[in-house]
Amino acid sequence: MNLRNKWLAGLLAALMLCAGCLTAPETVLLQGEPEDLERCVELFPSEPWECVHKIDAVIQGGMSSSLLGITKGDPADQRMHTVLLTPEGFILFEAEQREDTISVLKALAPFDSPAFARGLMEDVSLLFFPPRGRPSKWGRAEDGAVLCQWESPTGYQKEVRLSTVKMISFRDKHGDLVKEAVLSAPFVKGLASQMELRAQKPSPYRLKLTLLSRTP
Amino acid sequence: MKKILVLGALMVTAIGSATSVCSQDWASLKESFRKIQSVKADFSQERHLQILKDPLISEGRFFYLASGSLRWEYLKPLRSVMLQRGDSIRLFHVSEGTWKQDMTQGVEARRMVLAEMSQWFQGRFEESRIFKHSYSQGPPARIFLTPGEGVNKFILGIEIVLSDRPGVIDRVEITEPGGSATRIVFRNVEINIGLDSKVFDEP
Repeated sequence: MNLRNKWLAGLLAALMLCAGCLTAPETVLLQGEPEDLERCVELFPSEPWECVHKIDAVIQGGMSSSLLGITKGDPADQRMHTVLLTPEGFILFEAEQREDTISVLKALAPFDSPAFARGLMEDVSLLFFPPRGRPSKWGRAEDGAVLCQWESPTGYQKEVRLSTVKMISFRDKHGDLVKEAVLSAPFVKGLASQMELRAQKPSPYRLKLTLLSRTP
Repeated sequence: MKKILVLGALMVTAIGSATSVCSQDWASLKESFRKIQSVKADFSQERHLQILKDPLISEGRFFYLASGSLRWEYLKPLRSVMLQRGDSIRLFHVSEGTWKQDMTQGVEARRMVLAEMSQWFQGRFEESRIFKHSYSQGPPARIFLTPGEGVNKFILGIEIVLSDRPGVIDRVEITEPGGSATRIVFRNVEINIGLDSKVFDEP
């Protein structure tokens, strides 16, 4: 094997390893406490809510932006309304979602693509709505963390992990990590004062959300 | 884009009217605009949106030089600033404790806004391609801006209310369809004072 082939083989191995890093290992869960499932669901608002966040967004290449985000939701009927504004108060994007139907009310370029709308509403849903139905599995991880996993009919998986750090992750049907969020204390009426969401697929970005206000 | 332009024009009008004097006729009001060399003021902004029960409250300050420089800065809840020097516009925000240059999205729209603002600073309302203006001597004195076809889908009107103190604006209110509105209240307005050029160059 000449040097070039060795280099290519090495690169291929590295890529395979990297891909492997993103794939969810099969989690073996220990029997949990009866209230563990409740604790997972309590991470999300159970009543209608309205909140304003400061959002620091970093996209590929390190470019960053600072925005205001308003979200209003009602978990009972899986309905949410979200608005993105510039610091001056200009509306860049506004959409509503009821169950799986998204209605874009306003969208300025570059926030006017269907993919952006889907991605943003998916982020909001990940952070604020517990998945529907009972989890496919739940219990304790080996390190004692409470862990609940829900699987959608299409094979997507949402996982809540509660230890000293509270995390929500979202994996595709191949088990690859799509998005992951870390929620930090203090919690204000059930909402984390800080949330950091890292998206991996289809393109990487990072959102740091700081809670400014919550009603009620 | 048009909405951004019009909302930005709100800022312009507010600053421009800082030179107005109560009970002036339109001609002398325009003349006082032309005498402005610099403006410095604080402002508080209420953004009323249908989605929100309570308005979004922002605090900020601005600096203006008639030679073509502007600093429009928000201090709360987000720290951000628009800096204009002639045709050059830069946007910055504070992230993790340090100033960072904003992504380019929205820069073009803001450039249009600031260009419009510069005209209004000098009382050149007739040159606006967005608004028709009217003036009421009051008291309190008011300038009404009515958008033309197209823009009126986003903005119903702008009202600038001047204070009793000559050269100082009390508030600006912008009304949008659907019940949304923006209200900016100015305070600590200073006119024709010396301003360090650094405020227009550095975030």
